[in-house]
Amino acid sequence: MAEVAGVVKETPSANARRRTWPPELNIFIGLVVIAAIFEILGWTLQGQSFLANPARLQIMILQVAIVGIIAVGVTQVIITGGIDLSSGSVVSASAMIAMSFAQTSTYARAVYPTLTDLPVIVPILVGLACGLVAGLINGLLIAYTKIPAFIATLGMMVSARGVADWYTKGKPVSFPTDAYAAIGAGFRPVLIFLVIAIIFQLILRYTLYGKRTYAIGSNENAARVSGINVERHLVLVYAIAGLLAAVAAIVVSSRNLTAQAGMGFGYELDAIAMAVIGGTSLAGGRGSITGTVLGALIFGVITSGFTFLRVDAFYQEIIKGIIIVGAVVQDVYRQRLRGRI
Amino acid sequence: MKKLLLAGLLGALLAGPAMTGAASAATIGVTMAQFDDNFLTVLRNGMIDYAKTVPDTTLQVEDAGDDVNKQLSQIQNFAASKVDAIIVNPVDTDATAAMSKLAADANIPLVYVNRQPVNLDTLPANQSFVGSNETDSGTLEAKQVCKLLKGAGKGSGADIYIIEGKLDNQSARQRTQDVHDVIGTPDCSFMKVIDQQTANYQRDQAQSLMANWLTAGTKFDAVVSNNDEMAIGAIQAMKAAGMDTKSVIIGGIDATQDALASMKAGDLKVTVFQDAAGQGKGAVDTALALTKGQKVEKAVWVPFQLVTPENMDQYMSKN
Repeated sequence: MAEVAGVVKETPSANARRRTWPPELNIFIGLVVIAAIFEILGWTLQGQSFLANPARLQIMILQVAIVGIIAVGVTQVIITGGIDLSSGSVVSASAMIAMSFAQTSTYARAVYPTLTDLPVIVPILVGLACGLVAGLINGLLIAYTKIPAFIATLGMMVSARGVADWYTKGKPVSFPTDAYAAIGAGFRPVLIFLVIAIIFQLILRYTLYGKRTYAIGSNENAARVSGINVERHLVLVYAIAGLLAAVAAIVVSSRNLTAQAGMGFGYELDAIAMAVIGGTSLAGGRGSITGTVLGALIFGVITSGFTFLRVDAFYQEIIKGIIIVGAVVQDVYRQRLRGRI
Repeated sequence: MKKLLLAGLLGALLAGPAMTGAASAATIGVTMAQFDDNFLTVLRNGMIDYAKTVPDTTLQVEDAGDDVNKQLSQIQNFAASKVDAIIVNPVDTDATAAMSKLAADANIPLVYVNRQPVNLDTLPANQSFVGSNETDSGTLEAKQVCKLLKGAGKGSGADIYIIEGKLDNQSARQRTQDVHDVIGTPDCSFMKVIDQQTANYQRDQAQSLMANWLTAGTKFDAVVSNNDEMAIGAIQAMKAAGMDTKSVIIGGIDATQDALASMKAGDLKVTVFQDAAGQGKGAVDTALALTKGQKVEKAVWVPFQLVTPENMDQYMSKN
């Protein structure tokens, strides 16, 4: 690795530098370093390996898969220079509404006693529709009223949580059909997460949709002058983010066999943190899904690592915060270095 | 349809006192912190249903909408219309001194329900508090887990995990402390806490937490959780890992529908029921006693109840 770095240093062009050392590599190194620290601490404190444990490797990614799905949507939003604070609340509202159409007839107190045992496609479509509507409202507000994305999605965050509370007056919605319960069972959340991540990595990298997304985030006016319908594209970006939040809602409610108004609390910030750790710039125009997946993995490794070492939750949060800020600081520093040469 | 029914019910509630009002022997003004809280709704309905069975008793129930100020004006209105007693489910337990003073000045008996007022020790003679003692819930849970472990022949040493609720929440801290206190007694000192971590009262977080614990491969005999949701999360994680949940004692608190279903399936072994309807009934009884000039205790405790597979049937329709 040091050799590669040496070669890079002598390359005069910033573009060539970017090609030879993709920003994701830094994040990957960070991931390896963190994992190695836990491996060493594992042997010294617990007397066992942290990584050489298939079950633990699985849970590391499984526990971040659901927020990871949201993070994919949020990453493309941040690349356009926007932000989405509503995803956690959209998860709870979509989960509540979807789950109310997924209940089995064996449960006597279903939300809609006449609408039990429906085919699994019904709750899925209902849930996705909820997320899509929330995302569309976000997008329309941001694109056409020109209010900051922070405000528009903050409003949605509050309102969607209200919808989740109102829908059953705070009562949890549980007891789904077997078919619905199967969606998020076992290792499937990871498969869903990775498939979505790969699709969006390819879309952002190789399609017109991706190019427009980066263009708007880099320089909105330039994008407009070059003929991009910025408004329409933004609506699309936020709608997709809402849709992915709904996918997460379906997976999380299926996996937990319940939907509750308090669900998804704080997911939006975790998703943003994953994107940011993964090298996505809040200023827009820069970032990748690969980076976000690595960011999610860092979250997973830290959570598992601290539980493995039996460190109190307080310290976990403190250190998570430091890592988020640290990741951005090193990124900004690297950017400045690049600019100077 | 459901909404319509609810609206109708609300209308009937509001119209109720107006129609029967002045003629009845005892009118009790009730102000609830929130109408849209599940637990408080059970409590409210418990009061209303019970009041119907007591002749010449009318309830006038108001929603404070989680607003301290609104609640205070409701009490002022009750005092102005000279109700016979007031029941308050406080929005904020630190704001009760002003309420007590209002009622005392108007010489109207007042009963706090469910949430313990900050001025409990200095309540005037014709005021009282009806509720459950939070320290009971965690104690009941931990004692039962201890008993079951002994019954399973693990009385010489048992390892347990504790799943904590929100760390900034008084009830979560209390419940965890209760477990440690029970372990502190000679009877249950054979239990040893391997680790305790928070899952913020959330099922999904408990699922991840348990899965992480399982990867360490440490043998454990019981999981004591601050609520049912997290206990169920732990059960789901154990099942996902192909573990036999029957050989581990898992305990929760709340006796929710989900928890009772899990208990029926043989997974959850212990939960604890907080008697919302019982608190409502107790509040009405206490208020009526005070209107008759009878002396009542400063605090009337409605006990938490232990729920086990043996007695769970009687709780199926309570929460």
